[in-house]
Amino acid sequence: MSLPPVGLPHLIGLSGILFVIGLVGVLTRRNILLILLSLELILNAANLAFVAFSRAHGDLSGQIMVFFVMIVAAAEVTVGLAITVLLSRLAGKLNADEMRNLKW
Amino acid sequence: MTPSLLTGLLPEIWLGLLFTLLLVLDLAWKEERSTALGMVAAAGLLPVFPVLAWQAGMGSHELLGGMYRLDLLALFFKGIFTAAAILVLLMTRELDKTIPRGHGEFYLLILAATFGMFLAASSAHFVMLFVALELISITFYVLTTYLQNNVNSLEAGMKYLVLGSLASGILLYGIAFIYGATGSMQLSRIQALYSAGAPLPVPLLFGLFLVIAGLLFKAAAVPFHFWVPDVYQGAPTPVTAFLSVGSKSAGFLVMFRVIQELFIGQAAQWAPLLAWLAALTILYGNLGAIPQRNIKRLMGYSSIGHAGYLLIGIAVASRLGSTAVNFYLASYLFTNLAVFLVIAAFSKVTGSDEIKAYAGLSKRSPFLAAAMFIALLSLAGVPPMAGFFGKFLLLMGAVSEGYIALALVGAAAVVVSLYYYLQIVYTMYADKPEDLSPIRVSLPVRLALWVCLAAMLGLGIWQGPLLHLSLAAISGS
Repeated sequence: MSLPPVGLPHLIGLSGILFVIGLVGVLTRRNILLILLSLELILNAANLAFVAFSRAHGDLSGQIMVFFVMIVAAAEVTVGLAITVLLSRLAGKLNADEMRNLKW
Repeated sequence: MTPSLLTGLLPEIWLGLLFTLLLVLDLAWKEERSTALGMVAAAGLLPVFPVLAWQAGMGSHELLGGMYRLDLLALFFKGIFTAAAILVLLMTRELDKTIPRGHGEFYLLILAATFGMFLAASSAHFVMLFVALELISITFYVLTTYLQNNVNSLEAGMKYLVLGSLASGILLYGIAFIYGATGSMQLSRIQALYSAGAPLPVPLLFGLFLVIAGLLFKAAAVPFHFWVPDVYQGAPTPVTAFLSVGSKSAGFLVMFRVIQELFIGQAAQWAPLLAWLAALTILYGNLGAIPQRNIKRLMGYSSIGHAGYLLIGIAVASRLGSTAVNFYLASYLFTNLAVFLVIAAFSKVTGSDEIKAYAGLSKRSPFLAAAMFIALLSLAGVPPMAGFFGKFLLLMGAVSEGYIALALVGAAAVVVSLYYYLQIVYTMYADKPEDLSPIRVSLPVRLALWVCLAAMLGLGIWQGPLLHLSLAAISGS
């Protein structure tokens, strides 16, 4: 038995699934670290879509975009973790539900 | 004249040099002299204005292999960003005592955000656009959390980071689909693909709506407004001020670029959605502001309301609407910064942002109270202040494109906004103060407030020059 070749629909489908997993993760997870992880998942879903479209079009700009997105994601998560460290040091909070000093 | 790389990118190059200079000075000077650093930054931004005026004569060009665009719209917005950055830098001096450490870096970060806004104004390619927007966002995450021993500031920063990253993820996914549907990320090439009236294919429409969602977050509009009140309240006051004028303007500028310029011919497919969102945003912002007790939080809701008015200008998709947005953003800049200047000067002395604490401000500092009064009237849209003319243009744009109901919602919300703005005025003028000690206003803040007041009244009475510029920015692009 041979598997069908992997085409654009498969890749976009997978990226869609990743995107939804990330989105649901951000909305339902309460631990800050897991929320940050889910955010990375969303960015990677977009990366996969960029690469897939790039291959389908035979155009390299999509792949170049992915490099920029990786850098941006790294910067974003660095700031996120720094804030997480400060928050847990100052208030011992790692749970999004406990952030109620400002009315949410 | 055709600009070379050097002359075309001169404002960005200048900002980069200024950034480097500040970095070196920050290392060389002692921490006590950090306020001087802010003055250096503000003075260093002044030469940007003549450069922008000089570049205005160059016409529209694409540089850096189609990544960077030089046109009047970009220059107009760069002027707005520069003015905002200068006023915010003057305001930042008031914060000195509350920042635990790293004063110099605070000014650097403000310059970095301005740099991101410049790039966003000139981006002609989705790669540049995304990186510029992220440069703005990530800088603001750091700025929001700058009061590191204040839980509110950290909490606001965390919320902003999570929701902001979510919005940029959605924006990025939208860009991916636009790229997938068109095969290009260069804005001018995408623009050439679809003639007026041709319906957009479904993947492109899907991508466009995701991009709109990401931009609505930046603009602080419903349904992506949840972060606004919390972040406005928790962030240091100058950051809140910069967020409310700089970041918001950047959001609307990018909306111009990717919604209006690219898909003006397909307005029927996206304009109704934006019109509905505009109405909801206006109502939410203005009704939500009524019960607020904290003035920064109230300004957050007010900022949502103003985003709604500005969305009208995008939704009507006409030259009048776009001109109105430009005019409105320029007048909103001075008006809103005047309010935040007063808030910063007040909380420096009293340490409070509660509206109650403003009781009797007219006796403690007649100047601050009067400045606040005029600025609030301009925010509400009372003639002859600049805010009135901006709102008038936007509502006129809505009526001339047939959005009568939307214009009525906008007009009704003005009355609501007058109610909560005037309550602050009432507290300042009629209530008895608990503490009668006068409030001293430092010279930079006084200077910045005079500039804002002059601009508010000047632009309200002589609308001609700014209106001319706003129109030129739309037509020349």
